[in-house]
Amino acid sequence: MTTEAAIKTDSNFQDADAFYECLLDAHQGLSREQSELLNARLILILANQIGDSAVLQACIAGARDAPAR
Amino acid sequence: MLETPAYAPTAFTNGYEFTQGTGYTLPEYPFVAPPELNSKQIRRHPIVIVGGGITGLSLACALARYGVAAVLLDEDNSVGVKGASSRGICYTQKSLEVFHRLGIYERIAAKGVQWSVGRTFAGDDEVYSFDLRQQSNFNLSTQPPFINIQQFYIEGYLVERIHELGHVDLRWKSRVTAFTQNAEVATLTVETPAGSYQIEAEHVIDASGSHTPFHDWVGATMQNKRGDDRWCIADVRFSTHPPVERHTWIEAPFNENRAVWQHLMADDVWRIDYQMAPNADPDAVSREDVVRERLQRQFGKEVEVEIVWVGPYAYRSRCLDQLRVGRVFFMGDTAKIVSPFGARGGNTGVADADNLAWKLAAVLRGRASATLLESYNAERLEAAQQNVQVTNRTARFLRPADGMERGFRTAAISLARQYPFARSLVNTGRMAVANTYTRSSICDSTGGQSVQNVAFRWADGAQGAINDLLQWAGGDLLVLVFGELPAASLRRLKQLAQHAPVRSVQVLGPDDRAQAREHVRDINVQGTGHVRGACHAVGHTWALVRPDGYLAATGKAVDGQLVAAVEKTLGLR
Repeated sequence: MTTEAAIKTDSNFQDADAFYECLLDAHQGLSREQSELLNARLILILANQIGDSAVLQACIAGARDAPAR
Repeated sequence: MLETPAYAPTAFTNGYEFTQGTGYTLPEYPFVAPPELNSKQIRRHPIVIVGGGITGLSLACALARYGVAAVLLDEDNSVGVKGASSRGICYTQKSLEVFHRLGIYERIAAKGVQWSVGRTFAGDDEVYSFDLRQQSNFNLSTQPPFINIQQFYIEGYLVERIHELGHVDLRWKSRVTAFTQNAEVATLTVETPAGSYQIEAEHVIDASGSHTPFHDWVGATMQNKRGDDRWCIADVRFSTHPPVERHTWIEAPFNENRAVWQHLMADDVWRIDYQMAPNADPDAVSREDVVRERLQRQFGKEVEVEIVWVGPYAYRSRCLDQLRVGRVFFMGDTAKIVSPFGARGGNTGVADADNLAWKLAAVLRGRASATLLESYNAERLEAAQQNVQVTNRTARFLRPADGMERGFRTAAISLARQYPFARSLVNTGRMAVANTYTRSSICDSTGGQSVQNVAFRWADGAQGAINDLLQWAGGDLLVLVFGELPAASLRRLKQLAQHAPVRSVQVLGPDDRAQAREHVRDINVQGTGHVRGACHAVGHTWALVRPDGYLAATGKAVDGQLVAAVEKTLGLR
């Protein structure tokens, strides 16, 4: 479980702008609470697409260790 | 029925402290004055077990079956908890296989309740359900996936079985009040209704439960964790029965959206376990009118309910850093404490006992090195740590911190209604399993797994099972060789059995030619059997199985590798 896995840090998107727009649109009209639920669901669905424990751990570490702003 | 309640404070016990209820009448065993009371001479015993709960009694019974003498000291004169009902209620396949070897399985099966359907609800909806009969990993054993039965029944059966077998001296009303140990021996002071006495022991097994004094006496170190989660059990009988299924609510509308467990056990008693508000007052939540109102909200006003027992509880987790300190071995709740989710308390206590029993027997009978006992710590500490981790994860799902933790749980539950993948995140308890040993000095890299008690046919066509072979081996190691063998291999097996505590059996396919006098056929009612698969030996020629039904090693040729595996398993290498 402690195997070091590298996360993709270069763009892997087919269309980064389209994804970003789609994500923002999905949150439109939602309250803060509804948005949080959507985000949580989305994380769980995406995590299941990845599946690999080492990659998931590296993704979480990558998100946690990113600078605050 | 509940009367004027007189509640004991219940903070941080992992047990179900009795408050009030009609309860059960438990058997009482007589105190018999031991010879030490009238003698100035201190007697030395090879094994002294402290505590006659499910763990201590399982160890005592296993030793008795190996013909090894032991003394068991219990401060009470009964099984179960005085005046109370049951602690554990759910016994897993591995425990049932152990009980089968100990000779009490048939009684458990006759008294207990089997279930296979479980349903999980959130709000008014079912989130998902499962049927264990559809899960192939449980089908190999001749024992079912689970039997639910009150713990004290099993303890009572063990006591009676020990009396039948002999070898173990059960001493009731005997409380250990002091303990010392040195390089040569351990000395225990025992208080009884007829006075105090001292005994010496070469090996002391502490199975006295979560309030053990031995941790302080030996200076044991441990990891602790406490939370604010509070629960209240109501063991009840109904005028109309719920379905014979396990139901769990993560968020029950009839319990202020907190969790509820609904389990069945013997005597038509149902255990309804309610999650209370964090830090709830145990006195308030277990008052009769409050308990009745809660039951009424769940089952309706028209259902008559007889309350057998009520018990509020809080849980903690604890894991010792070492399960052996000098001459003292810790097992059951003295080794680790877990929350009740997944039945990982009692069942792992039974596994602790079964693990140490054959090792003590082999060492005391001069068939293994004393270093074999060290492997108890390696194997059962790994199991304890794993069980603590698994139950802590469940506890966190059931009592999430406010904020993001609760948010993710809400997300997981809402997804689980629609998508199967999210059901794997819904954690209402992961049922106890036979833990695999991955860092044991006596297991080969091919071994360490539990071998299920699968069926086969004896040479005469009658049905047998792995447990019968273990019984026949009588505490020695069991070598199973698969299929027809070269003559040289047969010769080597014979030689090995002459020089080492090993019994070997040839396991034949339907058309193989029998070469060894001891042979069985790997066939069952469905056709081809599962012995080889259960031994994780597909593609291998032999499997070395320990008396506790764990695999020590598998290999391809009957050669020096098998001899080395036998020596390793006995702590001789």
